[in-house]
Amino acid sequence: MAMQMYLVAFNGEFNQPMSRSVQHRVRQSGGYILMVMRTGIIVALDDSQVPTVQSHPDVSLVGGVTLSPNGYAAERLKRIFAENLSKQIEVKAE
Amino acid sequence: MPNVGAELASVPFGKMIYDMASAIARSQVALDKASIQLVKVLASTTFEYVPDVVEVLQPNPRTLKGVTDSQGNPIVITGVQVSTDVGTSFPLTLLQAGVNPTFYAFTNSTIEVKMSITSTQESSNTLSVGVSVTASADFLFASGSVTSHVNFTSANKFSYSVTGSSSMSTTLAPVPPPKNMMPRFFLVNAMDPTKITISQS
Repeated sequence: MAMQMYLVAFNGEFNQPMSRSVQHRVRQSGGYILMVMRTGIIVALDDSQVPTVQSHPDVSLVGGVTLSPNGYAAERLKRIFAENLSKQIEVKAE
Repeated sequence: MPNVGAELASVPFGKMIYDMASAIARSQVALDKASIQLVKVLASTTFEYVPDVVEVLQPNPRTLKGVTDSQGNPIVITGVQVSTDVGTSFPLTLLQAGVNPTFYAFTNSTIEVKMSITSTQESSNTLSVGVSVTASADFLFASGSVTSHVNFTSANKFSYSVTGSSSMSTTLAPVPPPKNMMPRFFLVNAMDPTKITISQS
């Protein structure tokens, strides 16, 4: 299955433990956190793991998103995503 | 004899295609609704955007303490001073920033029906005929008898089996957002209000 970019929207008011709990579920599902906001997080996730993340009680919506090159801050978002992704990917020396 | 053509004709292709098309249509509506819901979420999710950071490099020559040249003059090194000016941040929605919802469309659908029709027929007939004749005669009487038998056995074995299987597959592919479902952006330049730029993702 393919890895795609998803927006995971929070259910209700933001708080740190809730955000961490959702991020933890994404990591457990083999996903990566690309950006964290107060209303949700943007993640890279395998298609087959979407129901697992969706089933978290603090998640209201999981929807696929893409980055439009015409966006006002697309290039900057791309850099932020890449930087956050690099912190989570472990590269093994051969 | 079984009619293979009739068996094939009995496969409800029309209903299968209708059911599949109907399921695809329902799924497409559900997917589009989810994507439209996502547009709303993206349009209401804001973050503080810092438009620019200006860094100005200025010369800052200085001498190193205790370091002199051969004539005893202090050595001047080229230093640099960086002054930073961070632009005022303003809220920006994810949609404005360039995060678009993914729309999906069913691109290819296939219905495959496999049928196997087997028909066998065996028949066997057995016929046995027997005749026996006995005759006797003496001084005054003579007698004779003829007996015969016919045995006929007929066996017919007939078997007919039809097995079938069907599979349906469809391909779901991401497609660019439909224009009618995406908002338009109006950029009004307050310094020159006559210049309005309209864009759409």
